[in-house]
Amino acid sequence: KNITDFSLNITDCNQVVVPEEVFFTVAAAGILENLLVLIAVIRNKNLHLPMYFFICSLAISDMLGSLYKTLENIFIILCKMGYLARRGDFEKKLDDAMDSMFILSLLGSIFSLLAIAADRYITIFYALRYHNIMTLRRALVILAIIWTFCAGSSIAIALFSYEAATVIPFTILFPLMMFFILCLYVHMFLLARSHAKKIASLPTSTVHQRTNMKGAITLTIFLGVFLCCWAPFVLHILLARFCPHNPYCACYMSIFHVNGTLIMCNAIINPMIFAFRSPELRSTFKKMFCCPR
Amino acid sequence: MSALKLISNRTSQQALSNSDYTWEYEYYEYGPVSFEGLKAHKYSIVIGFWVGLAVFVIFMFFVLTLLTKTGAPHQDNTEPSEKRFRMNSFVADFGRPLESERAFSCQVAEESRSLFHFCINEVEHLGKAKQNQRGPDLESNIHFQEASRNSGTLEEDLNCLTKFNIPNFVNTEQNSSLGEDDLLISEPPIILESKSAMQSSHRILD
Repeated sequence: KNITDFSLNITDCNQVVVPEEVFFTVAAAGILENLLVLIAVIRNKNLHLPMYFFICSLAISDMLGSLYKTLENIFIILCKMGYLARRGDFEKKLDDAMDSMFILSLLGSIFSLLAIAADRYITIFYALRYHNIMTLRRALVILAIIWTFCAGSSIAIALFSYEAATVIPFTILFPLMMFFILCLYVHMFLLARSHAKKIASLPTSTVHQRTNMKGAITLTIFLGVFLCCWAPFVLHILLARFCPHNPYCACYMSIFHVNGTLIMCNAIINPMIFAFRSPELRSTFKKMFCCPR
Repeated sequence: MSALKLISNRTSQQALSNSDYTWEYEYYEYGPVSFEGLKAHKYSIVIGFWVGLAVFVIFMFFVLTLLTKTGAPHQDNTEPSEKRFRMNSFVADFGRPLESERAFSCQVAEESRSLFHFCINEVEHLGKAKQNQRGPDLESNIHFQEASRNSGTLEEDLNCLTKFNIPNFVNTEQNSSLGEDDLLISEPPIILESKSAMQSSHRILD
């Protein structure tokens, strides 16, 4: 009787369910796409550059995120079918491992985006010394540091999950990084625009404002996509920690699966806006698929 | 009864265990959530969050386009001197008749593409001028060796950097093939010496 009372109250804001087919399709597409990017960069020697290594790092973190969601769904299905115990010790450890994989993916995404932005920033503002500043070895060292830090933090966060001490830094890190990346890109954008203006003011040039509009659109897409895909989940974590009993918060948390699907959509969109804009990578893809093996 | 105990235990822990969520596949083990007496719509946080996010992104877009139209005049003072020097040399040479340079390029229709050609041809001229001044010294020998070893990587590097994924002002598809042709025409030492100059110019344009 008491249980039905609870369920009556709870069903006011039903859990929004994403069909499993949609879930698995989106996850599989994300994993495949990012795997293709990785393979293309590994196979083409021309792409062994710091810029592409950072794009690869982003692809790996996207793959991890999609992988996590897929594995989680598989485990839930196995649980429903009875193959796995519900509260077994092994399952709990597995669950912790998967949580840490997800947080690793989120942190890896953020830091990879930061690395890509910093790399482009150095390319613009330290153009003469770029090849001395950003050597291949340094890029690999930076990536190693980033991933070690992310792995350590993710394990720590997964072990002490949902305590205030971990939730708050996590949710502060996210907007901080976004803001920093935004500043880098805006500075680059301003410089590009001012030089375009200089060229436009010369008598023989015919530059249009149209080109700058394209830059604004590109920048907005970059940051807008990341924000729209990750911010819902970060808000969910905040609400889950601080107001789980509030009906408004509970209603927000009922769309958790939609937020998860958004994160996997981010894994599909990121290669399109970072990796596939490079003509060399596109031509590598064409060679991979068009040439008979 | 046991379900009740389970729920009360969880709420008393004050922490939401992710493992409970996973295996139960029911997120709401929080305990009773009363939905009576709500003043606003129950999905108000959801709606408010998404509206706020959309407003923020659109605001960011308008700010960027406004930056396009108006200027940031102090921007010029903050440039490092090396870029200013290159920009000045670029601007100085820009006044030369460009019709002869256009013979190098195949397409002249689009503004962005023609800019790209100005850059490439400008750099070619700069490099040739430098080479005439220097003559074959040790540096250019080393450069030549390096370049002959890595010319493919360099040209690709140049192409990649000049395409510069963000902001993509210059049209990349047509320019890529054209850029490679132009780069192949010029000699390797020129590529390496004026590589950085070209990079920054393209960066700047892009």
